[in-house]
Amino acid sequence: MTAEPEVADAVPSGSTRTVTLRLNGETRTVEIDQAATLLQVLRDQLGITSARSACGIGVCGACTVLVDGKVTSSCIMLAAQAHDREITTGEGLRLPSGELSAVQRAFVDRGAYQCSFCIPAMVLTVHAALQDPEAGRDVESVREYLAGNLCRCGTYPTILEAVADLVGAEPADGGAA
Amino acid sequence: MPEVGSDRRMHDAEERVVGTVPFVLDVRVDGMAHAKAVRSPFPHARIRSVRTDDALAVPGVLLVLTGADLDADPEVNPYYGSPRPDQPALAIGKARYAGEPVAVVVAETAAAAAAAAPLVEVDYEELPHVVDANEAARPGAPVVHDAWPDNGCGSWRVRHGDPDAALASADRVYTGVYHSPSASHVPMEPMVCIADWTGGGLEVWSATQAPHAVREALEKMFAVPPGGVRVRTLNVGGGYGAKTQVKIEPLVACAARAAGRPVRMELARDEVFLTAAKHAATVELTTGVRDDGTIVARRVKVNYNAGAYALSSPIASGQGLTRANGPYTIPNVAIESVATYTNTVPSCPFRGAMTSQLAFAYESQLDDIAADLGMDPLELRRKNLLRDGEVYPTGEVMHDLHYDELLDDLERAIDWGGPPEPAPPGKARGKGIAIMLKNTLTPTRSEARLRLVPDGRVHLDSSTVELGQGSHPTLLQLTADHLGISADRLVRGFPDTAHTPYDTTTSSSRSTHAMGTALERAAADLKRRLRALAADHWGVPAEEVEVADGHVAHPGTGERLPWEGLLAATGTGEVVGEGVFAPDFGLTLLEDPHDVRGRVTVHWHQGGAAAEVEVDLETGRVEVLRMHANCYAGRVVSPLRVRQQNQGCAVFGLGPTLFEELHYQDGTLTNPNLSDYMIPSILDVPAVITSSALEAGDESAELHGVGEMALPAVAPAVANALFAATGTRIDRLPLTPERVLRALGEHDPVKEETG
Repeated sequence: MTAEPEVADAVPSGSTRTVTLRLNGETRTVEIDQAATLLQVLRDQLGITSARSACGIGVCGACTVLVDGKVTSSCIMLAAQAHDREITTGEGLRLPSGELSAVQRAFVDRGAYQCSFCIPAMVLTVHAALQDPEAGRDVESVREYLAGNLCRCGTYPTILEAVADLVGAEPADGGAA
Repeated sequence: MPEVGSDRRMHDAEERVVGTVPFVLDVRVDGMAHAKAVRSPFPHARIRSVRTDDALAVPGVLLVLTGADLDADPEVNPYYGSPRPDQPALAIGKARYAGEPVAVVVAETAAAAAAAAPLVEVDYEELPHVVDANEAARPGAPVVHDAWPDNGCGSWRVRHGDPDAALASADRVYTGVYHSPSASHVPMEPMVCIADWTGGGLEVWSATQAPHAVREALEKMFAVPPGGVRVRTLNVGGGYGAKTQVKIEPLVACAARAAGRPVRMELARDEVFLTAAKHAATVELTTGVRDDGTIVARRVKVNYNAGAYALSSPIASGQGLTRANGPYTIPNVAIESVATYTNTVPSCPFRGAMTSQLAFAYESQLDDIAADLGMDPLELRRKNLLRDGEVYPTGEVMHDLHYDELLDDLERAIDWGGPPEPAPPGKARGKGIAIMLKNTLTPTRSEARLRLVPDGRVHLDSSTVELGQGSHPTLLQLTADHLGISADRLVRGFPDTAHTPYDTTTSSSRSTHAMGTALERAAADLKRRLRALAADHWGVPAEEVEVADGHVAHPGTGERLPWEGLLAATGTGEVVGEGVFAPDFGLTLLEDPHDVRGRVTVHWHQGGAAAEVEVDLETGRVEVLRMHANCYAGRVVSPLRVRQQNQGCAVFGLGPTLFEELHYQDGTLTNPNLSDYMIPSILDVPAVITSSALEAGDESAELHGVGEMALPAVAPAVANALFAATGTRIDRLPLTPERVLRALGEHDPVKEETG
């Protein structure tokens, strides 16, 4: 049994191609290995750190990016498939002024982070959930959206507090100290 | 305005949320090559030969290093491990578990290394293997290490009173066998390390909880004098014990030495699973009570599965020994704790270390006893609680215990007296509670240095690792109060063994107390030196100089200077204060591991959990509706962070309680990925999750660590709630639907009601 992404192994490594993607609002053209995943190209060639490898099979959510606004696991998407697409990472959610986005601000204000390895991906998923016209704008809907973002520190309750702030709901239980 | 008691935000909060906070995963070094391990497919096999030609032919491959190469190198001692150096950086002679590195490929790219690794041909001769620690402990079992023919990897005993006589004369005697399987820590950041010899010495970046332990191990390995190896870490993306001690660093250092270039190795998730795991454990527990519920005797035998290499098991099994009694006053006790080698992934401490397995046993059994006696489980606990002034089996007279308050808090939080909400048809509801007691690693050593520099800021040099628990702001807050300045004047970088002084490890919930105390002493030392400097400058007696509010002052003459002003006036570059916390007692300093007597901890960690569950009687699924986690904190540095630790314990603890288990088939781990091995998601968080941190209400109270206090209580609290709901006791974790359903079938509450 292996946790390596089989999809990446299926393409012979070594052949390259050029892809152009719109990364956080900027057009970036980059020569990539055909077999490279989007995550590899973002991290190794495009200076992105907010998307992170953790499971390698698209189930933990740490590598989450938004592709044309949709939550996507960049560890199981080939970089070649990102050609001509709009890619948003945690870095790109900042407002043009450099200020944090509303979701980022809510996470900071609540202290919704511990080791923080999974947090930028959580932020992107919450952002996408709140942008999704078909999803309900309430804590429960966002919670369902976050089912594919794992946090081993167990920060979920604080994250739900930040979500509650964003949707204007009272948190179920703030908990005592 | 004191810093302690406030939720000082992490200085890098924005970067944490945006995703630009640095991890070792992000580090790149010029000219670095990449390593991929070749792993044994067999749980136990002699290595006859290794053929590397095909792998070396892959474009970009620089070298393949084998255990035989290391064995032949007179300048390397390939074995590491403390206290027992039994683990080679690459298997030498034989592989002892499926997944053990037997060779390593170094290549220009990670892709080339990964492509070449399967092309390394290893000729194996399979040997009989053993997975279960109880089988491994029997005579005639396959021997994992020739040097330890009984597979023993730690053996400890304690005896208190006369347990044989007390059990013989007890009104009732209860015996149970409780099993906790192995589990994976699953830090989200994998183990990742870069080693570089090109600067003359060895420089290492590693995502580790213990940079100085890694430094010491590598210095020993390469016969380098102390300080010859430099280990740095950054933020660590979760550890939970997996990144304690030494893990992949020896392998990467050997690869870099052979390559003559910096080498980076980032483990894939399956490799993280194959590097470290939780100790599976079997606990045989016998308890004798009087009819009124007084516990008169206890006998415990615990066998921890050490896996194929010792790591800390020889000592960790002793930590288990000291925790096995539980938080009860028992006059007659016999405990035996062993760790046993098997052909499985090496075990190391797992959040709630060594204690979760024990608390599951003693707290489950206690509710069975209560049911048998017709007593309220809470009252049975209160009747037997360990309290100040009572004697522990180690002979220690206990103090600073707070279990009465913890139980009161659990009682309130879960509304113990009230009945559970009525369950829908086909379901049953119940409540359960559990408490636990745990020592902290003792002896250990924490050193701290505070440097006042000319711009008036104070640099805080400490090797405590930021794992997300908030040690960084916590240490800043504590230091600021000790110095009487704002934490904004403090500067702290990341652990770097070339600059930050010795610290044993960031684990065992020890840093707030141990490093906090070292910093308190460093602050006192810094103030003493400032006093002396000012006294010398003004020509007055030192004892007349006051140090407060970032100033030195002499009330008699009216002289007063800010600290930076004193440095300027005296032409002083910097003033350094140093502090050390190093208790000179503890488990490893005791005379006889088979007659453990004496103090084994600087203080006792105390915590508990309460749960309300709903059991689906058709499917066996257990849903935790409500969970409360608590701990004794002494003083709370940051209410938010303590709450996150308690809630984190509740959430993390639900995994091994309900579904986490490493499965072995034919000696091979079959679920080393996050699809087949699930950890709690946000959908697993109970609808109501609350927590409490109890404080002493006394400013001089000792600070207690809070990282894992509620966790060992989570599984028994849930198991007891399941028992309350259904009358069914399950003595084996996790409480999967299959297991629950099978148990319900054996003890069908519906049938009993109607029958």
